[in-house]
Amino acid sequence: MKPKGSYDYYLILATCVVLAIISVICIYGMFAFKFAQIQQTAPDVKAAYMNGMNLLVSPFIIGLILLLCICVPKRLLPVRWLNIFTAALLTATVLVGVVWGLLTALKISLGVTLILQLIVLVMAVCGSEHLNFEKKGYWQRVGSSALHLGLVLFIFDLFFHQNRTLHLFLFWLTTTTTVAGMVGCFYAEAIGHFAARILTGQSSSGRQKSNGKAE
Amino acid sequence: MEFVLSFTRIGTILLYLLTGLALAAGCIGAVNLFTARAVGNRLNSSLLLFINTVFLLGLLLICWFHYQIYVQLPLELPAHLIDWLNRYLESAAGRSSHGIPLYDPDNPPRYLIPFWIENEKYYFWFFCYAVMAHIGFLRLTNHRLRGLLLVILAVQVLILFVFADPFASPLPSFFNSYLPWINGTLTDMERIGLFMRLYSKMTFYYNASYMWLHPPMLFLSYGAITVTFVTSVFMLFDRRVLEVEKMGYDFAKFGYVMLTLGMLLGYPWALKAWGPNWWWDPKICSSIMMWAIYSTFMHTRLYGNRASMWYFTSILGIVCFGAMIFTFVSSFLFPGEHTFQ
Repeated sequence: MKPKGSYDYYLILATCVVLAIISVICIYGMFAFKFAQIQQTAPDVKAAYMNGMNLLVSPFIIGLILLLCICVPKRLLPVRWLNIFTAALLTATVLVGVVWGLLTALKISLGVTLILQLIVLVMAVCGSEHLNFEKKGYWQRVGSSALHLGLVLFIFDLFFHQNRTLHLFLFWLTTTTTVAGMVGCFYAEAIGHFAARILTGQSSSGRQKSNGKAE
Repeated sequence: MEFVLSFTRIGTILLYLLTGLALAAGCIGAVNLFTARAVGNRLNSSLLLFINTVFLLGLLLICWFHYQIYVQLPLELPAHLIDWLNRYLESAAGRSSHGIPLYDPDNPPRYLIPFWIENEKYYFWFFCYAVMAHIGFLRLTNHRLRGLLLVILAVQVLILFVFADPFASPLPSFFNSYLPWINGTLTDMERIGLFMRLYSKMTFYYNASYMWLHPPMLFLSYGAITVTFVTSVFMLFDRRVLEVEKMGYDFAKFGYVMLTLGMLLGYPWALKAWGPNWWWDPKICSSIMMWAIYSTFMHTRLYGNRASMWYFTSILGIVCFGAMIFTFVSSFLFPGEHTFQ
């Protein structure tokens, strides 16, 4: 368990609030669907309902995206730099949003997050000590990095839902990365033991072979 | 059909046995909730072993039953209709990659029904919980926690016995739609019409490969969420037992992986079976709501060492269970692509 008052703690609280609001919107959607009898209406009414729900939930999805955008670089930067980065990111998002539209701003923010998360994942796989993780285990860091990469990819994938081939490719990539990340995060110790056993087995069998040759 | 009668006879005996064992375990479990010392610990351990054995035998019986359906109930068409049907299927499929396969007279379509549809889904779900409750029972020695695990199991088996018996009238919805195929005297056009209804449902529902992955993963997660619910209730009343919290979290981790993977695997299936018009369907809304609450639980648990967060996490564990029940029940209460309305 973690100590209170860290940057992580407040990010987690903010994530919880956004997730709770999304839950409430979902419950609203269920009742709206039932009482308006959307199932029995014409396709354009159903499309209007879907667009309305997309519109309603989008500010909170944007909130989740921005939280991810802050969450990812915290692995790479010290807190002071992270604050500067967060302020710069929010300003850039607003400016790009005003000039080129909100969708472009979000795509750019997500693109930046994706690149940063890839860097974090590569550094975690290489066993870098420069990453700011609260947990120390190798597999936990790799798993957490992969899990966050999966979430970034998932939101990225939503932008491409009309391009069927790319959409499904990204979807399967998302699924693999997210689930592999979860397994890494949750079962870091078991994976560590398993990997160590395999490596030990290999080295001992290698030793046996080399001993056999020597004999 | 002889195999249906055999299935019903043997299954009913197994379900009576299961209910008797579960009620006995539940009663002893209930007594343990109110006593200072453990009562009937060894007996409960044996009862749990018997319960899981009977559950397993019942599942094997269901597997056998489905194999009989596969072997004995093919969708065979008279030879003179096959060419016409295949021409129709070819033109209907067009360029779509999700069309229905052509009819092969040498190998007529057969039902490959998964073991978790209609009332059988409750059976599978409660079996998952029974196995997990047994693991929890062996892992922790706290008699009240063990008692609560057993009481919940008894309630589930009672629900199975009273409302969702998979053996008394097996697969009613499947047989209602299939029986006219073998019983009725149908004209050629009626036969083709019925065939198309049965064959499309067979392709996109009964025989869909996702049906073998999406529901069982969700039921495994439901079992794990139920154990987390039991530990969360326990945590509300006793802050000292860290090992109970640890066990609840271990089951929550497993449940979260299964829920996420199960939900994700449902996505390409929905695209294939329903096209794009299912987004924000009530069942999808409730599933996203449940996942969001579960994600919140997994996040808050990281700070469970704070007194307020301990209780908040416990309450969220209970809310997760409530969300799971709500999501499941929503299939019956809300209309949509995914539901029974």
